[in-house]
Amino acid sequence: MINTSGEHSFSTSIRKLRFLVVDDFENFRNSMRQMLRSLGAEKIELVHNGAAAVQRCAYDHFDVLLCNYNLGEGKSGQHVLEELRHRKLLHHSSLFLMVTAETSREMVMGAREYHPDAYLTKPINRAMLEKRLGALAERREALLPVTRAMDLEDNPEAIQQCLSLLSQYPRHRSWIYKTLAELYIQVGDYGQARKIYDDILSQRSLSWARLGKARVLLAEGHLDEAIVALQRLVEDHPDYLEAYDLLSESLKRNGKSGQAQKVLQRAAELSPNALLRQRDLAKLATQNHDIDTATDAWRRTVNLGTWSVHDNPDHHLALGRSLTDLSEGDPGGEGKEYADEAVRVLKHLERRFPEAPDIGPRTMLVRARIVAARGNRTKAMKFLEEARAALPEDKLSADAGLDLAKTLYRVGQNREAEQLLASLAQRFEGEAETIEQIENLMDEPVGLQQRLQARTLNREGIQAYEKGGLPEAARFFEQALDIVPNHAALNLNLVQIRMKQLQDGDRSVVRQHALAQCHRCFQALENLPPQHRQYRRYLAMKRKMESMNE
Amino acid sequence: MSEHRQPAAADRKIDNPDFSMVIASAVHDMKNSLGMLLSTLDDLREEQKGALGDNPRFNTLQYEAERVHSDLVQLLGIYRLGEQKLSAHSDEHYVAEFLQQQLARHERLLQGYGVDYDIDADNDVIGFFDDELISGVIASTLNNAIRYTRSRLQLGAREQDGWLVITVEDDGSGYPAHMREAGAELLKAPDFSSGSTSLGLYFASAIAHLHQNNGKHGTIRLHNEGKLGGGVFEIWLP
Repeated sequence: MINTSGEHSFSTSIRKLRFLVVDDFENFRNSMRQMLRSLGAEKIELVHNGAAAVQRCAYDHFDVLLCNYNLGEGKSGQHVLEELRHRKLLHHSSLFLMVTAETSREMVMGAREYHPDAYLTKPINRAMLEKRLGALAERREALLPVTRAMDLEDNPEAIQQCLSLLSQYPRHRSWIYKTLAELYIQVGDYGQARKIYDDILSQRSLSWARLGKARVLLAEGHLDEAIVALQRLVEDHPDYLEAYDLLSESLKRNGKSGQAQKVLQRAAELSPNALLRQRDLAKLATQNHDIDTATDAWRRTVNLGTWSVHDNPDHHLALGRSLTDLSEGDPGGEGKEYADEAVRVLKHLERRFPEAPDIGPRTMLVRARIVAARGNRTKAMKFLEEARAALPEDKLSADAGLDLAKTLYRVGQNREAEQLLASLAQRFEGEAETIEQIENLMDEPVGLQQRLQARTLNREGIQAYEKGGLPEAARFFEQALDIVPNHAALNLNLVQIRMKQLQDGDRSVVRQHALAQCHRCFQALENLPPQHRQYRRYLAMKRKMESMNE
Repeated sequence: MSEHRQPAAADRKIDNPDFSMVIASAVHDMKNSLGMLLSTLDDLREEQKGALGDNPRFNTLQYEAERVHSDLVQLLGIYRLGEQKLSAHSDEHYVAEFLQQQLARHERLLQGYGVDYDIDADNDVIGFFDDELISGVIASTLNNAIRYTRSRLQLGAREQDGWLVITVEDDGSGYPAHMREAGAELLKAPDFSSGSTSLGLYFASAIAHLHQNNGKHGTIRLHNEGKLGGGVFEIWLP
């Protein structure tokens, strides 16, 4: 039997700690200071907004932050936490307590990473604060040897300390096991991490241990196992957003980017305010050619960036690009609205990040595409020249290079675009995602709608071919090539049909005409870079063609 | 950055409301407002200690606000249950410490009403449960108990037959027979036409049920066989 006044006094451990209270209401700050003082705290500072909190932490160290989630206009408590952790302004030993008027689960749902050490739900009274803070301060003190080693990024030492504290503080074993397993993963000792998770799971199915186990499976490259484990986890815990994130990542690495996108979309619906998740969704959707979803996700990423340490000029540029893609696909009224929005986004970007490298010419390239899509070639050329004059063509980033190539296509300088893409393909040879983008652009340097139309025709052609309808298939491929004349696979598909017809002695085909058409197809692929997936097929068929000509 | 609006075509349509979502977001707003109100009441009590003294009307004010607040929290929880967006994330907890923290929240109100309270739990009883969800259940149970008790409340925890049992006892007149015998009926969604099950009990049962281990689900039991002579509310967690 213990009494509620608490038989151990926490005041000794609280007295030494440095506190920072962050709240926009003066009354609350003062009443918090009063409560902390009555608990024995001596070093207490108060600030009234998130920016001030971050600034104080940049200059000084605090042991405990009591930060309101809702801080009015400006950074929220979550922004403060993210920025402090991201910029490593918070020691591992420091406690970050989020004060909320809401139930904490909603907040947890919002964050993708960076959880506070505890949530305190308003109203807060002295008794409550004493109990929560006392327990946390006691744990903090007990685990200092571990967190100190982590602050020095000495993971092996942190692991040693965890192991030796385990028997000394059975009270904190849950925290120690969690931390220990994560440390093992960080140093790459997956076997030890797995053992901890397995031990825990053999006693009880705990969601955090299941997630950890899946993380180990993924790190060890057991993609299928990880996917199955995570799918079950999400089924049992449909509110576990980190499980969705990891599942999406596993699916993507397993080549299932469509499914990966669906999973991430579900997580983003459950919790729309996590910037990094929206960013990942936008990237994935772009890769999947789902420009509508990508645009929505980029828009959210950009809007969520207003007060976030994760805001980045690349997100704004990517939104501008997506909007431009949409506007190119639609010459009507909506296309104009997308174009206008893209221009606003780029203007805002230049104001927000005036110091970002090459920001002027890079936005200029997207702008050139916007005006080109609206039919203003002269202006597009002017923007293009301005951008090129300011950009070092031999040191272009992949994104800027792709933008430049797209713009060249839009103003009809196809040869130059192809040469640029060939040199980019060489330079970014090892980067699969960039190479894929280069291939796609080379194959289909047209707007979104036309791209989709060409794809449909290609698919119908392949279906006809598989059913043996060669003339029909050829017609589909010809129509598709009218839209995207330099599409590698399409050209080779058409050549393949014509050669088969010639070999079969098909009377309906005039040999001279068929050979001429094949010749034109190969000509269209003259600048195909060796890094292109269709390159070997191109070489093989060209050789076969030459032997047929002899 | 409001200037990044969606193209106008998207907002020309008026959506059909998804009614439960509209309600849920309204409840969410009300709950947050009440949170502010409660917090202000607490500050006020502190500031006006001399003037208010033990003014019983102030207790009523705080008690009723707490009750609505915990009802709204429950409503939101039930909405999430329905949307299958709620699950129990269990972890290891020292139960006595956990119960102390729960009581601390209600300390002023208990003192205001002149209710004695204590905790009957071994210091090293360990339990596996989702502390946020169980904390919500205990808050609403305590609220309820404050209403029916005469002079005493006791929180307790024990291990029995491999289960963790958390109890809230009072010295009031106990639970009426139809509530004690409700059993599995508690898990049925509240039926407002018969008024048989209260929202609070349904919520508590549902939260207990979310906790599972080795195929066993948590449950709640109500009886009047306590040491204080009043009602006993028990959460059994596997």
